[in-house]
Amino acid sequence: MGKKMRIGLLGIVLLVALLTSMTAMGKAKTITFWAMPNADDEIHIPWVEAKAAEFQKKTGVKVNFEVVGWDVAWTKISTAIATGEGADVFQVGTTWNPQLAATGGLEQINIKEFGGEKAFMKANLESTTYKGKYYGIPWFAETRALFYNVDMFKEAGVQPPKTHDELVEVAEKIVKTFGEGSAISLAGTNAWDLLHNWSIILWANGGSLLTKDNKMAMFNNEAGIAAMKWYVDLVAKGFASKACAEYNQPQADAAFINGNVAMCYMGPFNISSIEFQNPTLNYSVVEPPAGPKGKASFSGGSNLAILKASKNKKEAKEWVKFLQEKDTMVEYTKDLTHMLPAQVEVFNDSYYNSGVWKTFKTTLEYSTAYPPLATWGDIENIVQQEFKNVLAEYVNGTYNQNTAKKHLNAAADRVNEALKKEK
Amino acid sequence: MSQKVAKKTRVIWFVLPALLCMTFVHVIPIIWGAYISFLDLDIYTLAQWTKAPFIGLQNYVQIFTSKFAVGQKYLRSIYTVIIYGLITIPVGYVIGMLVALLLNRKFVGRTLVRGLILLPYITPDSVAYNVWRFIFQARIGLVNKYLLRWGIIKEPVIWLVGERALYPVIISSIWKGWPFACLILLAGLQSIPLELYEAAKIDGASKMQQFWRITFPMLQPVTKTLLVLNAIWNFHAFNQFYILLGSDPGKAHVPSTFIMQEAFKNLHYGRGSAMAVILMLIIMVLTVFSLLVKRGGSHES
Repeated sequence: MGKKMRIGLLGIVLLVALLTSMTAMGKAKTITFWAMPNADDEIHIPWVEAKAAEFQKKTGVKVNFEVVGWDVAWTKISTAIATGEGADVFQVGTTWNPQLAATGGLEQINIKEFGGEKAFMKANLESTTYKGKYYGIPWFAETRALFYNVDMFKEAGVQPPKTHDELVEVAEKIVKTFGEGSAISLAGTNAWDLLHNWSIILWANGGSLLTKDNKMAMFNNEAGIAAMKWYVDLVAKGFASKACAEYNQPQADAAFINGNVAMCYMGPFNISSIEFQNPTLNYSVVEPPAGPKGKASFSGGSNLAILKASKNKKEAKEWVKFLQEKDTMVEYTKDLTHMLPAQVEVFNDSYYNSGVWKTFKTTLEYSTAYPPLATWGDIENIVQQEFKNVLAEYVNGTYNQNTAKKHLNAAADRVNEALKKEK
Repeated sequence: MSQKVAKKTRVIWFVLPALLCMTFVHVIPIIWGAYISFLDLDIYTLAQWTKAPFIGLQNYVQIFTSKFAVGQKYLRSIYTVIIYGLITIPVGYVIGMLVALLLNRKFVGRTLVRGLILLPYITPDSVAYNVWRFIFQARIGLVNKYLLRWGIIKEPVIWLVGERALYPVIISSIWKGWPFACLILLAGLQSIPLELYEAAKIDGASKMQQFWRITFPMLQPVTKTLLVLNAIWNFHAFNQFYILLGSDPGKAHVPSTFIMQEAFKNLHYGRGSAMAVILMLIIMVLTVFSLLVKRGGSHES
């Protein structure tokens, strides 16, 4: 009995060994590439797979492409870093890059291999750095601008605002014509972009998140308090719906895209959702209105990073270079993702000098990236939490003159604490 | 004798696969997890996490000291989950009991009705709580729509943010949880011998007396199991909070959502593990307690 079973087990073991060795022999070098759903799966996956086939023909390296949702990407990448396996090359959000670099799990990049520092948009290149060294290659960029509903503006008899004060005037007129909450759509406590949206206002007020040496919080100074009040006032004065407090970003965007609200701070990627959900929407895009201290916007996007523990780093770098070739990049940003290229050369394509793209391009040139810190995740969390507390106080009816200051100070204390851990 | 030994070894062969699976899927990860809670494992040490410095009980000190923001929040999350349980479990039990009493008689379509009441319980969490999220939304939600129509509130109330965030979770959890209580209690009711009621009727006991003197005491073993099970499930409540309130429920954080945020989002694995170990200890105590209660129950009968 026992003997038979042992023979059976041995057979199974042999079979498994045979199968694995066969599959191992069957393939040449294979690299695994993770990217987020930057475009609709139906067009995105075939496009990348076609490029991968082209790449394989050229180099003999097979690219195994996997789409990883934004909600799980952070966990998947940090797991890959901890275990040293999973993917050879992957997409990282610009704000993630320094944090992941701090883990020691990303391959340091010699930027000269990829065209040198001058080849990339400044803010995007900065987002790949940690302690002055490069740990990623900018892939594509995005920035925020003010989308407005042309028909609603016409009916209310207003022009697109150029400053914060003008925005308030415009909003007043729109509310008079279309009712409370119809002027602007904002994402509230459930927004992962909450900090981005507020930073734009903060920078335009001459404020800054941290001091220049990145050692101390600075967002709780006068400019910060003014920016926070201005933001909450958009809701308090009835320009934005009170329900915004519980919106996440897609909900806020949807309110604009459905044509219910006249203005919204959005990114270039939203253009595809407009085309998809409400193609008849008559909209246009202007640069974010300037604050008392000038124009500002948020610089985001994604970079490509290589896993330090990968055994195929050379092939991974080749793949990155292949993806960044000018025509490929133009195709990827123009036809698929509706993002902006992070490469200066690609940006010179005539397409980006036309229509709304020109607005985005101009905005991107002066937009700001977050400080490249390992503790950035903590800092972002802390500021968002306190920001949410401000909104929650508003919801609970306990918001007053001192609320913004109180919570910003609380956030600053906690951020300073977190910054002490920065090594 | 040798036959007995052979039998024993054969038993081991049969049990071995399950035992190995349990070891690799449960035992080893739990021990690893507990070990990590003694390490300074965070963003800086992630890539070489096996070499993360050993820091003893420091993680535990942090999560139990209200001086630290993280400790404050963790203690608050435990408090929140207890409050949540103290409301949802008894209310769910009472509703379940009432419906079970109603259904414990013969009428046309009884099986159909019994099937229908299970609907909330068998609906997947993600579906049910997403629907509840819509119901509680300020601008388009049904709750505000009806409250406004009936004149109870003057303007839309925001439910999913701030101080009120726990109410929607409690209400939707009661909706989702009572059918299970009902099912178990119904099974319990059917095991009560009818002779007892007949005897009571002859003695002239009212319906109320029958309930408190016969039904309720006879259901005690079922009740005990049910409440303890619910208490255990309650402590690792996650889905309802995560789906209704998002990845950062603010003041309505419960241990599971907070651990997820600390460990997997902020990459403070050491601290997150310490919190998870404490949560596990709480659940373990409850489990041991439940086993004792069960044993006590069977002695009584």
